[in-house]
Amino acid sequence: MRALNVEALTRVEGDGGITVTLDGKRVKSVTLDVHEGPRLIEQLVKGMTPADDLNVVPRVCAICTLSHRYAALRALEKAIGIRPPEKAQLTRELMMLGENVESHSLHTFLLALPDCLGYPSAIAMLNDYADDVKRALRLKKFGNHVMAATSGRIVHGENPILGGFGKYPTKKALEEIKLKSHELVPDAVRAVELFASLEYPTYSEADMVFMSVNAPNKQYGFAGESILISNGKEVNVEDYKKLTSERVVSHSFAKRSMYQDKPFTVGANARLVNMGKRLDGQAADLFKEHYSDRWLKNPLMNNLAQAIEMVWSLEHMPELVDKITSLENPPIEQPTREDGAGTGAVEAPRGTLYHHYEIKKGLIDVSDIITPTAQNLDDIERHMRLTAERMLAEEKGDDEIRLGLEMVARAYDPCISCATHLVTLKRI
Amino acid sequence: MTRQSPKVGIYGFTGCAGDQLMILNCEDQLVDLFGATEIRSFVMAKSDNHEGDLDVAFIEGSISTEEQLKRLKEIRDRARLVVAIGTCACHGGPQAMKLGEGKWDEMYKKVYGSAKIHVSKAFEAQPIDAFVKVDLYIPGCPIDKGEFLGSVSKLVAGRHPYLFTAPVCLECRWKENPCILYAGRFCGGPLTKAGCGAVCPSHNLPCVGCWGPTNDLNVSSEYKLLKEKGYDPDEILKKIRKFGGANVAKLLKDLEKGKEAKP
Repeated sequence: MRALNVEALTRVEGDGGITVTLDGKRVKSVTLDVHEGPRLIEQLVKGMTPADDLNVVPRVCAICTLSHRYAALRALEKAIGIRPPEKAQLTRELMMLGENVESHSLHTFLLALPDCLGYPSAIAMLNDYADDVKRALRLKKFGNHVMAATSGRIVHGENPILGGFGKYPTKKALEEIKLKSHELVPDAVRAVELFASLEYPTYSEADMVFMSVNAPNKQYGFAGESILISNGKEVNVEDYKKLTSERVVSHSFAKRSMYQDKPFTVGANARLVNMGKRLDGQAADLFKEHYSDRWLKNPLMNNLAQAIEMVWSLEHMPELVDKITSLENPPIEQPTREDGAGTGAVEAPRGTLYHHYEIKKGLIDVSDIITPTAQNLDDIERHMRLTAERMLAEEKGDDEIRLGLEMVARAYDPCISCATHLVTLKRI
Repeated sequence: MTRQSPKVGIYGFTGCAGDQLMILNCEDQLVDLFGATEIRSFVMAKSDNHEGDLDVAFIEGSISTEEQLKRLKEIRDRARLVVAIGTCACHGGPQAMKLGEGKWDEMYKKVYGSAKIHVSKAFEAQPIDAFVKVDLYIPGCPIDKGEFLGSVSKLVAGRHPYLFTAPVCLECRWKENPCILYAGRFCGGPLTKAGCGAVCPSHNLPCVGCWGPTNDLNVSSEYKLLKEKGYDPDEILKKIRKFGGANVAKLLKDLEKGKEAKP
C-alpha cells in the first residue's frame, strides 16, 4: 500500500481537489472534491424581486458574472413577460463576446499553457515567452474593456437590467471596440497556432457526449432556446431537467449532472462539435484546419477550441457594433405580468449555464441554477480515471500521473471558486 | 541598506473569487506587482506556492466550513498583517445576508437534502473578523483596482493605506450625477461605503450596496435623508443587506437607537 500526497491543484478557479486511490496497479477511485463552502444562493433569493435577484446571482462566479446575469435575464424576462428591445439583445450579445475573450485568454494562455510548457505560472514564463504573456494580457484587458463598456464594470457590472440597459454604451465606446477587436485578431490566431502545435497526451481519450445551446438562425452563438446534444437530439431549454438530473454526492458541495445515466461535457469543445460548421471568417478556416475525430474523445482539445472561439468572438464584434450603433436607445421594457416561470440557457465560457425561476406575485418563489462545472464534474472524473489507469499501466511515475490528471481537470476550465486545492494520490 | 520585498500571500475562501480575479485583472501592473512583492502563495494564479511567514496576507471570501476556519487561523498566525479583500471577507457577502436570523439549517436542507457530505462541516458564512483580527479592510464586490493597488503601494512603502470612509453619495456628487433618490427611486448610496466611483448611479441605476456599510461619521444625516424620502428601516435593510449582511443590520439598529436618544 502506498499513499502519495500532491500539493495543490492550482490555477483553476475554485476550491477543489482531486483524490485518486490506487490499489497496486488498479485505480480504486478518482474523485474531484469540491471544498468550496456552500452559499445557498438559490435559497437566499427566494422572496426577492427579480431586479434584486439580478444583483445577487451574478456573484455566484466572478469569471462568468455576465453569463449568470444573461441567463437570469433570459429566464426572468420570460417569466414576467418582458420582450427585450433589439438593441438590448445585441448589446447583451456583445457583452458575452467580451466575457468569452476575457475568460478564454485567461484560461488558455495564463492557466493552461504553463502546464503544457512546464512552468509553474504565466509569470514564470515571462523570460521565455514574454510576447505570448503580453498577448494574453492584451486580450484579457480588451475582453474586460468590452465587459466594462457594456455592463458598467469589469466584474459584476449592474448595467444590464430587466428590459434593457441602465445606460447604453456610447457610440464612441462602441467604435473603439470595433477598431480594437480587429487589431487583436492576430493575437488570438497566435493562441490557436500555439495550442495546435502542442502534443496532447492520449491517456484520457474515450467516446464523449457533448451538449451546447443551439444558437438561433443556424448561426454560431452563446444563447438559445434549445440544447443540442452530439447524438443528434435536441431538447427545449424549458426541459433542462431532463438533461441535467442533478444529484448530491458526498465528496462535494457542488451538485452533479448526468444525461441518460451517463456523464457529458459542456464547454467550447462541445460548442465547436455541435456548431463548428456554422463558424465563419478566419475562425472557420482555423476550425477546418484543426478539427479532427480526436476532438470527440479528448477533453484536452478544449484548450484549442477556446482559442478558435476567441478568434470568432473578436471577428464578430465589428459586425455587432455596426448593428448596435444603427439603432436608437429604446426605453426600458416593463413587466407585463406578476406570475410566471422561465428558463434561460446561455453558453458561459466554460459551458452551458441554466437559470430557472418561478415568480409568484412579483416575487421569486423558486430558483434553480445549474452551472457548467457542475455538469462537467462527472465527465472530468471519468477522464481522470482513464488517465490514471492508463498511465499506471505504462508504469509512469507519480509526478507524471499528477500532472496528467491536473491537465485533464484544468482543460475543463473548472470554476469551483478558488482556494486550497489539493490533489491527493493515495496508493494502497 | 537592502530592502527585502514584502512576502505576500493571496488566499480565497467562500465567495466568487472575484477579488483574486481583480488582482489578475490589473493587466498593466501585474508584472510590476509580482516584481515589487514576493508572492509566496496565490493558488488561483500559480503552482509554485510556498507557505511560511508572511508580511501581508490578502484574504478574500467568507468562512463557511470548519476546514476553512482552521486554515484562516493558520494564515493569521504566520502573517504580520491580514487584509480582508472584498465584501465577503469584510462583511460576509451575499451568502451572509441573513446571518443571525436562524434560517440557515432549513435552507441548507432544502439545497442538499439529507445527503451526507463529508468534505468538511459547513455553517452559515461569516466575515473573517468573526474569527481573527483583521488589520485592514478593502471592501468591494469586487474590489476596485485603484484602491487595491494604492493600498499595496502604501503597504510596500511601509505606510498606512488611505481608503474611503464616506458614502457613495460623495463620489456621486463628484461625478455630477442626478440624484436617484430625488428622482423617487430607492438608492443604497447614502449608507454604502464609497470606492466604486458611484458606478451604478453613473449608469442611472440605484446603488445596490455592494461595498457594504459606510463607517462615515456623518452617516446619521445620510440615514435621515433616506427616511425623509419615506423608506422605513425594514425596507432599507432588505435592499442593502444583500452584501453587507449582519453589519448593515447592526448599522441600521445603531442609527435607530441614536435617533431615539436624541429628542
